[in-house]
Amino acid sequence: MRERLTGVRGLYRAGYRSVLAYRADLWFGIAGLVIQATLTVVVWRVLYAGHDEVAGIDRSTAVSYAVLAAAIQAVIMPWQFSSLPFRVLRGQIGVDMMRPRSLISQNLAQAVGTMVGRLPIGVAGLLTGLALGGVQPPRSAAGLGLWVISMSLGIANILIVNLLVSMTAFWTLEIGGFMIVYRFATAFLSGALIPLWFMPGWLQPILGWLPFQAQMYAPLSIWFGTRDGVLGVLALQVGWVVVLFGLLQLVWRRAVHKVVVLGG
Amino acid sequence: MIEVDALTKEFSRPDVRPGRFAGTRSLFTRARKVTRAVDGISFRIDAGELIGFLGPNGAGKSTTIKMLTGILVPTSGTVTVAGQVPWRDRRQNARTIGAVFGQRTQLWYDLPLRDSFGIIRDLYGMDAATYRTRLGEFTELLGLDEFIDTPVRSLSLGQRMRGDLVAAMLYAPPILYLDEPTVGLDVVAKGKIREFVAEINTRRGTTVVLTTHDMDDVERLCRRVIIIDHGVLLYEGDLESLKARYVTTRDIVVHATEFDLTSVASPFAEVLTAGPAKATLRFAPATTSTPKVVHDLTSRYPITDLSVLEPDLEDVIRQLYTERRTG
Ligand SMILES: Nc1ncnc2c1ncn2[C@@H]1O[C@H](COP(=O)(O)OP(=O)(O)OP(=O)(O)O)[C@@H](O)[C@H]1O
Ligand SMILES: [Mg+2]
Repeated sequence: MRERLTGVRGLYRAGYRSVLAYRADLWFGIAGLVIQATLTVVVWRVLYAGHDEVAGIDRSTAVSYAVLAAAIQAVIMPWQFSSLPFRVLRGQIGVDMMRPRSLISQNLAQAVGTMVGRLPIGVAGLLTGLALGGVQPPRSAAGLGLWVISMSLGIANILIVNLLVSMTAFWTLEIGGFMIVYRFATAFLSGALIPLWFMPGWLQPILGWLPFQAQMYAPLSIWFGTRDGVLGVLALQVGWVVVLFGLLQLVWRRAVHKVVVLGG
Repeated sequence: MIEVDALTKEFSRPDVRPGRFAGTRSLFTRARKVTRAVDGISFRIDAGELIGFLGPNGAGKSTTIKMLTGILVPTSGTVTVAGQVPWRDRRQNARTIGAVFGQRTQLWYDLPLRDSFGIIRDLYGMDAATYRTRLGEFTELLGLDEFIDTPVRSLSLGQRMRGDLVAAMLYAPPILYLDEPTVGLDVVAKGKIREFVAEINTRRGTTVVLTTHDMDDVERLCRRVIIIDHGVLLYEGDLESLKARYVTTRDIVVHATEFDLTSVASPFAEVLTAGPAKATLRFAPATTSTPKVVHDLTSRYPITDLSVLEPDLEDVIRQLYTERRTG
């Protein structure tokens, strides 16, 4: 295990250094998110003008949710594809397959690195929200701890699903349409755009069992303490990560036979 | 070291027939078109060999190399590399082989060359001391120090190729595959790369499989060659016998300053061109020895300069390829 981790440590480094290599992008990302966070606070306050609660959620929770979701998305997006399809298209996949580490661990390590590289953007967004009084901090230190665990599970979920979906590229290179459907679905189902509180009642139980809500909605609801049975939420998140990771291995084992390394 | 038996690879892709609604029809049809890129080739390569793997465009060289490296699964036939089936024991195999594909890079595009080497060190679990000495040695051999801290995206093709070569040899794999490592390089860069390849082959005993369209690469580096076309084996053997088999004539060029060579003639050779100062004659070394022709010409004409042209590998290959195409 230890050796495995040192093996892909380099790729993790490659991930965040690649982000830092484009410093201007990083600065623009920070500036963009600060503006977005500010506007979010202002707009949601206007939306709530005259109401104390909408769907049982008070104003400050709704605003905090929107700002936090934006900050997390800047670091890692639930509907982002991994670099895999691009590498298949360019024949770069051949290089990855000649490494002494599995393609899955290489890919995940690099994705984690990229995420860490983008962390400053999310932190800037969060600080803006706090400064404007738009973001409520978690209710207790324990709440914060639970959130960290839940968010980590959410991130693991996002990374695995992204890679899983990206593996379609081994079967067909025309994944553009599929990508749009996937994006649209996860953007809503994960609760990244709109909190699942606002979804119609009949839809909520279905969403609750899907893997997508475990990506963003679960950690965010733990942050606000708006959800009972936190342990149940965490258990469901763990369950999904295990199932999805198993599925990922399975799909990869079939994909190996489908790999066509283009070019040369 | 490398054993290949009846190796075959077929690619299939949707068959799009031209015509109205071709795109829409292809959504519903299951017709597929099969190309056989490699068609039952067999050969073996011994440890320590530096072998040229040749063939015209589209012959199936890259496809074969991809199967040898384990990144493509063969349709049928077997491959064993250092006792392993490359595509099945992919991670084991990774430590046995290094590869440079001239058309693409294994380096990290956004990072300085040095960072790429560091990542490879981690991936292969190299210890710090070995890494440092080997990188130092290679840096000197290939003159990397000028650009080792430059991001790969800003490197010239020749610099990048040198970087790729180091990346492939850093963990000292016993086998190195080179697929067109000199494509698009200038004379000096080519020279550097050849020197490096020759060095690791002789000094370290690395087995090298070299694919190239540059016959200079082959003449300078390879004793033995494997030639394929349309996925089948055309020739396997040493370079000298290949030349002897295909080049049955040799040309001799003579110069004279005080004499008009227009009417030059010899009982042993056929005149190809004859001008006042220079003439070219052709003879068959199998029936007439070179000294005999040279003696005949120099004794009868006041010749100032004379040269016998070595058989040109380029011509041999051209002859081999066209013969195959027409016959
Ligand atoms: N992914 C693929 N799908 C369909 N056909 C392919 C694929 N890859 C290669 N081929 C076909 O297989 C044949 C052999 O290709 P390959 O790349 O092995 O040739 P090569 O000998 O390396 O040629 P070159 O000297 O031009 O690099 C070609 O006819 C090519 O069109
Ligand atoms: Mg090729």
